[in-house]
Amino acid sequence: MLKKLLSTTILASGLALSAGASAQTLEIAVPQSPAGLDPHIITAFASFEVVNGTIYEGLTALDKDLKVVPGLAESWTVAPDGKTVTFKLRQNVVFHDGSPMTAEDVAATVRRVQSKDIASPLATRLAAVENVVVKDPHTVEFQLKEPSAPLLSSLSTLAMVPKSMETNKEALQKAPVGTGPFKFQEWQPNGFILLTKHDKYWQQGLPKLAGLKFNIVPESATRQVGLTSGQYALVPNADPATALQLKGKPGVKLVETLELAYTLVGMNTSKPPFDNPKVREAVNYALNRGEIVQAALYGAGVPGGPLSPALKEWAVDLAQYPCYKPDAAKAQALLKEAGVATPVAVTMSVLPRQDIKDIAQVVQEQLNKAGFKVELKNQELGQFVQDWRNSNFDLFASTNAGSADPDDYFYRTFRTGGSTNVFKYSNPKVDQLLDTARSSLDQGARKKAYEEVQKELACQGPVAHLAYGTLFSAARQNLQGYDILANRQLSTLKNASVGQ
Amino acid sequence: MFRRLLLARLADLAMVIFGVSVIVFLMIRLIPGDAVAIMLGANTEVTPERMAELRARVGLDQPMLTQYLRWAGAALRGDFGTSLWTGRPVAAEILTHVWPTLELTLLALFFGAGLAIPVGCLMAQTRGKGADVAMRVAAIAGLTIPSFWLGIVLILLLAMLAPTFPSLGYVPFGQDPIGNIQRMLLPAFALGLPILANLSRLVRSAMLDALGQDYIRTARAKGASEGLVVYKHALRNALIPYITSVGIMTGYLLGGAIVVEQVFAIPGLGRLILGAIAERNYPLIQATLLVVTVGFVLVNFVVDLLYGLIDPRVRG
Repeated sequence: MLKKLLSTTILASGLALSAGASAQTLEIAVPQSPAGLDPHIITAFASFEVVNGTIYEGLTALDKDLKVVPGLAESWTVAPDGKTVTFKLRQNVVFHDGSPMTAEDVAATVRRVQSKDIASPLATRLAAVENVVVKDPHTVEFQLKEPSAPLLSSLSTLAMVPKSMETNKEALQKAPVGTGPFKFQEWQPNGFILLTKHDKYWQQGLPKLAGLKFNIVPESATRQVGLTSGQYALVPNADPATALQLKGKPGVKLVETLELAYTLVGMNTSKPPFDNPKVREAVNYALNRGEIVQAALYGAGVPGGPLSPALKEWAVDLAQYPCYKPDAAKAQALLKEAGVATPVAVTMSVLPRQDIKDIAQVVQEQLNKAGFKVELKNQELGQFVQDWRNSNFDLFASTNAGSADPDDYFYRTFRTGGSTNVFKYSNPKVDQLLDTARSSLDQGARKKAYEEVQKELACQGPVAHLAYGTLFSAARQNLQGYDILANRQLSTLKNASVGQ
Repeated sequence: MFRRLLLARLADLAMVIFGVSVIVFLMIRLIPGDAVAIMLGANTEVTPERMAELRARVGLDQPMLTQYLRWAGAALRGDFGTSLWTGRPVAAEILTHVWPTLELTLLALFFGAGLAIPVGCLMAQTRGKGADVAMRVAAIAGLTIPSFWLGIVLILLLAMLAPTFPSLGYVPFGQDPIGNIQRMLLPAFALGLPILANLSRLVRSAMLDALGQDYIRTARAKGASEGLVVYKHALRNALIPYITSVGIMTGYLLGGAIVVEQVFAIPGLGRLILGAIAERNYPLIQATLLVVTVGFVLVNFVVDLLYGLIDPRVRG
């Protein structure tokens, strides 16, 4: 009886499967259910992954090398004083609710993000914008308080929403409305999120798929089996452990790129012992980043400094940082110079994520060999975040998402009083360089300033940058046209199709 | 008599619900970690003023007593509030998640508790023989294998043997009955196996006890068939501890369901609670735990009623 039931259901499912293949809705397996989908309110990666570049787009976009290219704006001009940026919008952009996108929507979107009532965490990215003026239905002018070099890159992550949503706090959390290649269809919490093709998408002939179905599959082993058995066609942004287990499985292919996200050890510069730059430098000498990559990241990554090597335009070659050559003896000498009693007893809070826990253990061992005595503090996420925010730590091991423009990361993290400067780091030289680079529109001058910032931060800064991991996506062999992006966006899925 | 039992039970239920509501309310607020900080996650750019605004937006800036009274008052009127950040009504959230768990629990119970009676009787009848020993070893194995491990192994096995069989996720029965059953088979098996192992051992020993009683000898002496002796006379007496255990286990099944739902990607109550706790979604945790509590109390109530049906002495 059971056998018969099994065989008939297998037959039935075979039929269902072939029917599904012609409709070409891509079955994607993601680990976490998003808490909400409003692009201006969300902060979790589980949410970004579903909406950015799929449902939503910005005025600008980033290409595969993370360079700014036209998005919903087909072109723009910057006034000579750098304080006015005029965007020319595309004519044929239509929101998922059927209304055409105009300059009014752009102005409303900016007002929405800046409004106190919405309390959007993106507001600081638009801090430089004083006013947005609608010139004509397809021309919009951004008036700035001061010139802002990172603005164009920031606008790529500023999701355009219809003006009807300007003061609505709840609708988009449940049912997002954007201009992207896929539109929101259905959300079964903890089950799946279904997006379907946006028929009036502004790019001719795209998207090729009929839709995307984000299945929420919390267990990594289940995602693996689902992919090898063909129930899922894509496991995007997988961790190295999962990806390497899927390597070489029949019907499965891996796509990889170097991540913008990095792992780090943060140091509290507001109290001993890490208020002393020499002690921070000692940490950098004590670390062996190559060993960390091998031991904790399964070799899937590269050692890195303050900026990801993926940002070829900006990142300084590691050979230029003397402290990146592991030297425990030098570390101990520095501790002696600093005049601290050895072993230096400190605690390190650890972000509760497996790769970070692994990294923390390697770091602990390396630091202990060089005159420290590190105690690991494994915390629940809520507690970790709270301690992080309140600067309640000696050291912490964590990860950070990184961004395409250095200003996005550096300014808020290392500028005196920066919003995520939880290290309480204050260095007038760095402050000045960051201010210059932010308002300068000369690419060469920015590059030079950021080079100096990187060198200033690498050995004595409040963060010992550890490694940039390799980011993997695992897909069925027949998924074509999908490309993995270093910022983890799934925007290339608009070009994807399922072959035979 | 029945009405008195019912009234007493309802009074119990009200007390339990009140107690649980207070404990849950306090407990989840004692977990370290601030709901707003968690919602924002690590490394988000936010000023303290923005955080205060967010806190005010969801009413977490009020004193705890005010928060409790507000919530309890609304809950008494049948309004469980809205999920902290999505604004989705909590009641609707629970309703969509309760069916998969209910279905999974019932199927697992049906499989585990249902099979336990014949298996347990068989073990008692073949006591000491090869079949009994084999089944007892199997039962120990069934007890000790954790559901999540069994679940993953089952998924792997099925992926090898029948790769196109849809074993992951959930589709509502009304939408696709076959697909629903297909996806429920493995998780119900993984969840029900420990129940089967546990209960069949219990039935076995209860039956052995009953079979040694005088009235069984009498029944045999008057010439009743072996089947009648075992399944009518002995079984009925052996069932009391069995029913008590089934009642308790239904509660534990909910706990097991959390793990199995996680492995098989089923959007049930367990996943809802886990997610709600992780994001400190207070209204959602409070309401979900209340629902589970009420469910547990109701099951025990049904068990009490069943005693009366099986054992006339309880009725008196």
